[in-house]
Amino acid sequence: MVRFLIRKIPSVVFVLFASSIVAFALPRLAPGDVAVTLAGTDSTAAAIAAIRQELGLNRPLVVQYWDWIVGLFQGNLGESYLLRRSVASLIGDRLGSTLELAALATLLVILIGTTLGVAVGSTRRRWARAGLDLVNSFFIAIPSFLTGLALILVFGVLNRWLPVSGEVSFMADPTIGFQFLILPAFALALPSAAVVARLLQAEMLAVKNEDYVDLALSKGASATRITLRHVLRNSVGTAVVAVGLQIGNLLAGAVIIEAIFNRNGLGQLAVSSVQTRDFTVLQVLILAVVFVAVICQILTEVVLAGLDPRIKLGE
Amino acid sequence: MTSTESPAPVMAKDAPLLRVEGLRTEFRSKKGGIKAVNDVSFDIYPGDVLGIVGESGSGKSVTARSIMRMLRPPGEVVAGSVRFGGEDLLTLPEREMRRRRGSKVALVFQDPQSALNPVMKVGDQIVEAMTVHGVGKQAARERASDLLEQVGIPDVQTKIDHYPHQFSGGMRQRVVIAIALANDPALLIADEPTTALDVTIQAQILRLLARLRTELGIAIAIITHDMGVVAELCTDVVVMYGGRTVEKGTVEQVFEQPRHPYTAALLAAMPRLDDDRTGRSLPAIPGAPPDPAAPPPGCPFAPRCRFTEEACEQEPPALLQIGGAGQAAACFVAQRAAGGLDFSAPVRDEPATTTGTPAAPPAAEAVLEVRDLRVDVGSRRRGLFHREPPVYAVDSVSLSVHAGRTLGLVGESGCGKSTLSRSIVGINRVAGGSILVDGADVSAMGEQELTRVRSSVQYLFQDPYASLNPRRTIRQSLAEALAFRGIGGRAREEAARSLMTQVGLRAEHLDRYPHAFSGGQRQRIGIARALARQPRTLILDEPVSALDMSIQAQIINLLEKLQNELGLGYLFIAHDLSVVRHLSDTVAVMYLGRIVEYGDAAEVYGNPQHPYTAALLSSSPVPSVSARSRERIILPGDLPSPANPPTGCRFRTRCPIGPLAQPDRTICTEVDPQLTLTATGRRAACHFAGELALQA
Amino acid sequence: MADLPLAPSDVALPEARRRLNPTLVRYLSALRTPKGVVGLSILVLMGLAALLAPVLFPGGYDQQGPQALTGMSGKHIFGVDEFGRDIFVRSLYGLRIDLSLILTAVPLSMAVGTLLGLSGVISERLGAAVQRLLDVVIGFPGLILGICLVAILQPGWPALFLTILISGLPTAGRLARGAWLAQQSREYVLAARVLGVSRWQLLVRHVLPNAMDAIVVNGAVWMVVGVYIEAGLSIVGLGVQPPTPSLGVLLNNGLRFVTQSPTYIVGPALLLLLVSVGFSLLSDALNEAVNRR
Repeated sequence: MVRFLIRKIPSVVFVLFASSIVAFALPRLAPGDVAVTLAGTDSTAAAIAAIRQELGLNRPLVVQYWDWIVGLFQGNLGESYLLRRSVASLIGDRLGSTLELAALATLLVILIGTTLGVAVGSTRRRWARAGLDLVNSFFIAIPSFLTGLALILVFGVLNRWLPVSGEVSFMADPTIGFQFLILPAFALALPSAAVVARLLQAEMLAVKNEDYVDLALSKGASATRITLRHVLRNSVGTAVVAVGLQIGNLLAGAVIIEAIFNRNGLGQLAVSSVQTRDFTVLQVLILAVVFVAVICQILTEVVLAGLDPRIKLGE
Repeated sequence: MTSTESPAPVMAKDAPLLRVEGLRTEFRSKKGGIKAVNDVSFDIYPGDVLGIVGESGSGKSVTARSIMRMLRPPGEVVAGSVRFGGEDLLTLPEREMRRRRGSKVALVFQDPQSALNPVMKVGDQIVEAMTVHGVGKQAARERASDLLEQVGIPDVQTKIDHYPHQFSGGMRQRVVIAIALANDPALLIADEPTTALDVTIQAQILRLLARLRTELGIAIAIITHDMGVVAELCTDVVVMYGGRTVEKGTVEQVFEQPRHPYTAALLAAMPRLDDDRTGRSLPAIPGAPPDPAAPPPGCPFAPRCRFTEEACEQEPPALLQIGGAGQAAACFVAQRAAGGLDFSAPVRDEPATTTGTPAAPPAAEAVLEVRDLRVDVGSRRRGLFHREPPVYAVDSVSLSVHAGRTLGLVGESGCGKSTLSRSIVGINRVAGGSILVDGADVSAMGEQELTRVRSSVQYLFQDPYASLNPRRTIRQSLAEALAFRGIGGRAREEAARSLMTQVGLRAEHLDRYPHAFSGGQRQRIGIARALARQPRTLILDEPVSALDMSIQAQIINLLEKLQNELGLGYLFIAHDLSVVRHLSDTVAVMYLGRIVEYGDAAEVYGNPQHPYTAALLSSSPVPSVSARSRERIILPGDLPSPANPPTGCRFRTRCPIGPLAQPDRTICTEVDPQLTLTATGRRAACHFAGELALQA
Repeated sequence: MADLPLAPSDVALPEARRRLNPTLVRYLSALRTPKGVVGLSILVLMGLAALLAPVLFPGGYDQQGPQALTGMSGKHIFGVDEFGRDIFVRSLYGLRIDLSLILTAVPLSMAVGTLLGLSGVISERLGAAVQRLLDVVIGFPGLILGICLVAILQPGWPALFLTILISGLPTAGRLARGAWLAQQSREYVLAARVLGVSRWQLLVRHVLPNAMDAIVVNGAVWMVVGVYIEAGLSIVGLGVQPPTPSLGVLLNNGLRFVTQSPTYIVGPALLLLLVSVGFSLLSDALNEAVNRR
């Protein structure tokens, strides 16, 4: 396990390094001068130069990059020059909202995905399988924001059953918080869940043709036992990989879902920082997304190794 | 097992254990049913070992699945009965059938690599076989370890908690057999149980099955394509062809006097270990087995049979008794001929004329030579922090191929024979030693050397289904090769057409895609493609082992014909010793990256010097009843990994005359024997060469 | 020897079938399945609607009417927006933007991705290095990449185009590289190598045709992703800028007036859904046909 993690270090470092270059390059590739933007429309050249000096923009790029990275490692995420607040506090304020959304959505992906996948993968009735498969195809084809809009129309506008705009922290009031959370989380989770279900189902159908499933049948094992002990047990790995791959999509989808449901999360922060060209915030957010994606990938591999005795971590 | 153990004729037996009558199984599709099994009947009596033998598509595996009611959709039994202990298994409700699976009738599968659940410990998999039939967990576990002991798994207490991937192929098959035996079934159905295994491992498993039969009195139905396995293990045999039973009887009856032309032709067409027909073509059966989707209206063998009459093509003959009690054949002609048909007459299509002695004189020039070749297959992958240690799959191998002659290279899977041959044509990188083509050193394998190799050495691959690009027509495949001759237009067209004729295909079929051809035809196309470059040497990598029995002889004959016409040198690689015997002038036996014996084919087969050669020969099943009583040399254990070969002699961990049997022979552990001349003037790599004599 | 699949005998197949290109046969068979027929019909309908929009509604998408924010009616089947503009007309013009975006960006992305994936043909080191870089791109989900590009380029068509283009590269590259690596060990490729066929000829004759299947299916999948990226960025206000209508922009506007005129978003959503379902069905049908033996 430890050996495996050590082995992973070079590729993790490489991915993070490459992403940090991208993040670092963003404000410098964008047209316009950050200092000019900050100084305001009618400012003197001296004022601009002062800001430039303060931000260290006139030093060599390598030095700037180095300072930025060292700062990140020391926990100094930088400061939003526009809002005059530290990036850490900006993110801290909104982290909870996004975490709640992502956590519930992931839970729903696992629940809905496996249930639907197992249902399609284990039914022996052709029409039931075809029907469920078709439903699944539609869930995959409908993007989360359309589901979100439909949910808003049905639950929030046409009927006023659930709140569809704003949020209440789950920690502060679980009942109300959940009411605010369930619709966006469901909308976010549905297409990913359908993808997980599709992969799980395909894997189960493939595993069904394996000789060892026939061997179990020839032992006299019941259909239920064969599905659970042999088919499903050998297919969960695929589901785990699928869930891991969907995390990135969930994070990206959260940007839109937060906008639609008017939730004040990290996604909204990212959008507004693009609109206001507040790059310090954006840079950190981008790195964070990549970091989470990398961690999820490693976690996936660890879980996979736990499920399959043939996989030995670190070998 | 000796022939005296064979039971008395059918009449004297008790009630059958299993009686299959009029079984028909169809695979339904939109275009109508495909009759995979068509009116098959046979009995199995207690203690019998019944061989169900047939080629691919003959319906033998479908028969087994029909009995167990384990057909995959859209397969369906449409008629017949399977009576087991007085009840018809086919009419039982599924719940009742489930109770009988595993407890009354058990199944052993073909491929031990895929037959075990990879994420379940083997012990648990055996235990499961019992707990589903109501045995308590504790009792089941105790029995599981007894079973593992019984099937010959060493160190049971540790191994019981191992996962399947920690076992070798042979050991896995033993586990599968242990699962099958768990509930003391009365009948074991084994579907090609040794086909995926090497010869020496096959011998171990066959011996195990024979032992179980005597110890437990269990009846076994073994489904196989290998006539040798049937002759070796079975008491009775059912021959299937095109979904029908064409012949059945005791093994003695069928092998000594086959009644159906198919059985007879098949037995005659098979190359044999004791073959004295070298240099002559085999009496091959023309054509290919019928397509189950479009079976001939009459006898399925009629289109290929030299006795075919008008009646044969109109309706299928019934299976009627011919000859002794219990023997029956489905053939109009044989049923009429009281004294049996005369099968010795020459075959209709391909006369068994002598193709003459090899065209080349004994001192023919060497077209291909390999000296002290080493091939490293280990350090391909380079990590960031470490480099993998070298693994020499081929370690100091020397051999030479002469024009017009065949060098047979034999060995089990993993011995390095394919790695060796692929290095010669530049697919694998050479780590040491040299390769000489037409006398020129090409070991560097640079641009220039590769051009030389490729204009002189060509390669025929094993799998006729994988060696042709499915998206390119035959014309395109051949043109790719002909382009190197620098001919175009009409000349190229001419060349393509003549190549097709040369390998026995119709020139009109050049515009077809590979999917329109059968396996044998595809292998012919592969040969044509290789010949298009006008090579002097052909490397034949298991060219017939993926083909049906009745097709193998056709390809072997074609290869022989081409050698005589073109004076080609062959490097013939195979695991099947009989095929090698038929084709080769010289034989090299390979074990774990080394050549352990090298010499004239007749001498090596007649009087092997190396114990491994002797064991290989002795382990190979022979399709003849007279061979049943011979003493077997059965090697223990598995092939060691080439990444970590044993010290001293590489064979010592399995050698019947080495330190395993005689602990005082420390020289085998200490000194690596070289391939040297033995006292009898032959070359073998063994400190005690010639000691293990082969019993006829 | 396992029970090998049997080649069709002389009786089963007419000569014409034996000479048909199997690749073509499979693609055509995909379009004959129910999924293929429905998917293709939807897409043809959408394509025609987008193409003919200027002919049917020569007034353009900016014609304002007297009323604002009315629901669906016989005269305006999708209703009227906040400036009294017909939402159906605007949706059709929006469809033009979306379709022109994905139909240019996705094929280009697949082509460039394939080329990048095949860089291993030149040298194995280069191939591995390119693969590493593409892996970094995978770390950025489409929308995040879009946000980065918008930050650099300003919102608009070019940023969307590049986002779709770049985000499609890794999958196409991986498929092409996978095909190159897998085909290397196929016996027919080895056979061609032994004949002396050069790497480039191997690539064109054997590897590319066999990689095509997966890349074509992936291209159809990526069309859907392209639509999502456009709509997603536009909904949060980072896409095409008003007054130009794209389906995503219309959804963004509709969402703002969702309480006053709940049906505003229904029309554009429906068109978006149809495009998405159309491409999904098509890719499903192709995928099933390609993987059928």
